[in-house]
Amino acid sequence: MAGKEKKGNAFTNNPIVKAIGTQKIVVVLVIIVLALFFSIKSPAFRQYATLVSIFDYSYYISFMAIGVTFCLITGGVDLSIGTGMICYGLFGGYLITHKGMPVVVGLLATIVLGLLIGLLNAVLVAVMDLPPFIATLGAMMITRGLGSVLTGSMSITWPPASADQGWFRSIFKMNVGGRMLPVGFLLVLILVFLMSIFLNKSRPGRYIIAIGSNKEATRLSGVNVVKYQGLAYVISGLFAGLAGIAYASTFQAIAPGTGAGLELDAIAGAIIGGTSMTGGVGTISGTLLGVFVMSLLKTGLPYIGLQANWQQIITGLILILAIFIDVLKNKKTA
Amino acid sequence: MTRKKLMSVALCAAMVGTMVGATSVSAADYSDLSIEIVSKGFQHQYWQAVKKGAELKAEELGCKINFVGPNSESDYADQVQMLNNAINAKPGAIALAALDTQSCLDAINTAMGEGIPIIGFDSGVPDAPEGSVVANASTDNYAAGELAAEKAYEVLKDRIANAEGTVRIGVMGQDAVSESVVNRGLGFIDKIGELAIADGKTIKLEGNDRYVNDAKVESTDDGNVVIETLVPSQVTSELSSIDCQTLLNKDDIICIYGSNQHSGEAMVTGNENLMKFGQGEDQVLGVAFDSGAVIKAAVADGTFLGAITQAPVAMGQTVVELACKAAKGEEVADVDTGCQWYTADNMEDPEIAQNLYD
Repeated sequence: MAGKEKKGNAFTNNPIVKAIGTQKIVVVLVIIVLALFFSIKSPAFRQYATLVSIFDYSYYISFMAIGVTFCLITGGVDLSIGTGMICYGLFGGYLITHKGMPVVVGLLATIVLGLLIGLLNAVLVAVMDLPPFIATLGAMMITRGLGSVLTGSMSITWPPASADQGWFRSIFKMNVGGRMLPVGFLLVLILVFLMSIFLNKSRPGRYIIAIGSNKEATRLSGVNVVKYQGLAYVISGLFAGLAGIAYASTFQAIAPGTGAGLELDAIAGAIIGGTSMTGGVGTISGTLLGVFVMSLLKTGLPYIGLQANWQQIITGLILILAIFIDVLKNKKTA
Repeated sequence: MTRKKLMSVALCAAMVGTMVGATSVSAADYSDLSIEIVSKGFQHQYWQAVKKGAELKAEELGCKINFVGPNSESDYADQVQMLNNAINAKPGAIALAALDTQSCLDAINTAMGEGIPIIGFDSGVPDAPEGSVVANASTDNYAAGELAAEKAYEVLKDRIANAEGTVRIGVMGQDAVSESVVNRGLGFIDKIGELAIADGKTIKLEGNDRYVNDAKVESTDDGNVVIETLVPSQVTSELSSIDCQTLLNKDDIICIYGSNQHSGEAMVTGNENLMKFGQGEDQVLGVAFDSGAVIKAAVADGTFLGAITQAPVAMGQTVVELACKAAKGEEVADVDTGCQWYTADNMEDPEIAQNLYD
């Protein structure tokens, strides 16, 4: 591609489209089309409660996805977030329900344990230079077992919304005069905003992107790549901890030994949202949009009477399509 | 009426049988025995109660037990490994709650070859090779499903009889593989079908193929009582609660039955934004299975009509006793460890409360 003329067409050269990003616009269109499709096909889908449910089920995946986007951008991955989220939520809930600790302690413990496992991943990947896939696969197994060990293999039920200790659930859903307000979505938006600024405007964020584009060049230009690559995994752990709280808030009961596979929902969300598996490219807002495609599919497909297994097939096809677009883009720029 | 009586007689018999089984003092000395118990894991607190029962009995009889189980109920391969380890320990007997009989077959044959008797418990070891499993200590899951259906039908009878169009009854199964979960579903479906047909209604079965094909009740395309079974593609809280919402959002839905703790909890989550469960005429009747803090709370506050609980403590006791007897070559036979129906009114009764866990 030696030509000097601008690539693309009228659509991709439009300044607004450029500012937002082509893939994100496509994803927004997909969301609108899906929402319209489900609404037309199913009257039951067109109700406020469905919207609240979509939000309910999106919080924990959103948090995991925001975190893992940082790892993906460095060219790595974090497979430990699904089982990790369950493990952290189990631990925090265990402290509250079995050790009589205040809810605040349980919430903090959930986040801190997430940070610690994130730190472990950081050491394995950034310091010891293990392949991220293998290192975090190990952490995935560790957290899966650890959740059982910490709680004596018992499933843990966080306090219900009606109990005094249930106040934490109104972080995500507030009951205002019998109407459920999905306030968690505001929290997600704020975090997306903050993490976007961090990724794109701050020095550490830019280093993380640079590492994903070309780690060696970044190192040669004097950047402490160990530190910033590790930071991505710590962030991922932190957000997996937040996801643990969101999961406990939505589902209340957490069973040990579960969570494997949930990380793929988050990773798929990030990829659909335009994050590249090869690193160096990705946005937090895109990830959020990608997660919504997944949530919308999961909630909407049953309403049109599709059997469960077809839901997975369709989600898989959409994921493959998203990766294909990513591959095409890479070919164009190469 | 007679049916109800029969049922209670059967239940009483089962419970008395359990008590006799659990309290009879045997003359034999079991203190030299070691028993390997391979469970389905400890994911649900139900298993803690089984373990407690097993430990109580082991202490009483003076035998040694080793109670193990995989990390989750989908870890088939891990369970096979545990079963192999159990055989290598050369115990007097092995107790097994198989996650999947097929994958355990080799190990079961090895045990049989070495003359180690196997006692099945919980859902047992369905379709095990002849002679390998000498006795079972299990809940008759099919009968338990039937009991749930009878209790639900008592409340639904008039609504079904007076309905002008179709009415729909939802069944939520965690999977279509595990014998215990499937039989609880089928027992429920068949009994609802039987009762509704006796009242002059016709049945249409919808949803998961396994349940539709294996149910004994006759399904007609224009049936006016629709029984729809939903099974998630993956066992996650999210997918199951979406299933529950899908059912709750159908215009003709009058009742939903969740056949284990996972499904029951998903019913509570699924109802949170819709608020449709309750016992009023225009509400959806919720019937659950097993306990746990979430389901107990839903039964206590009337969100659910009630739930079925098994008798895990008695099961644990029975399995150890059967295993010891089998190890000594004594005659053993299957024991139904029974189940109970609990509602807000009776869940505090001691004989029920001992089987409910948080």
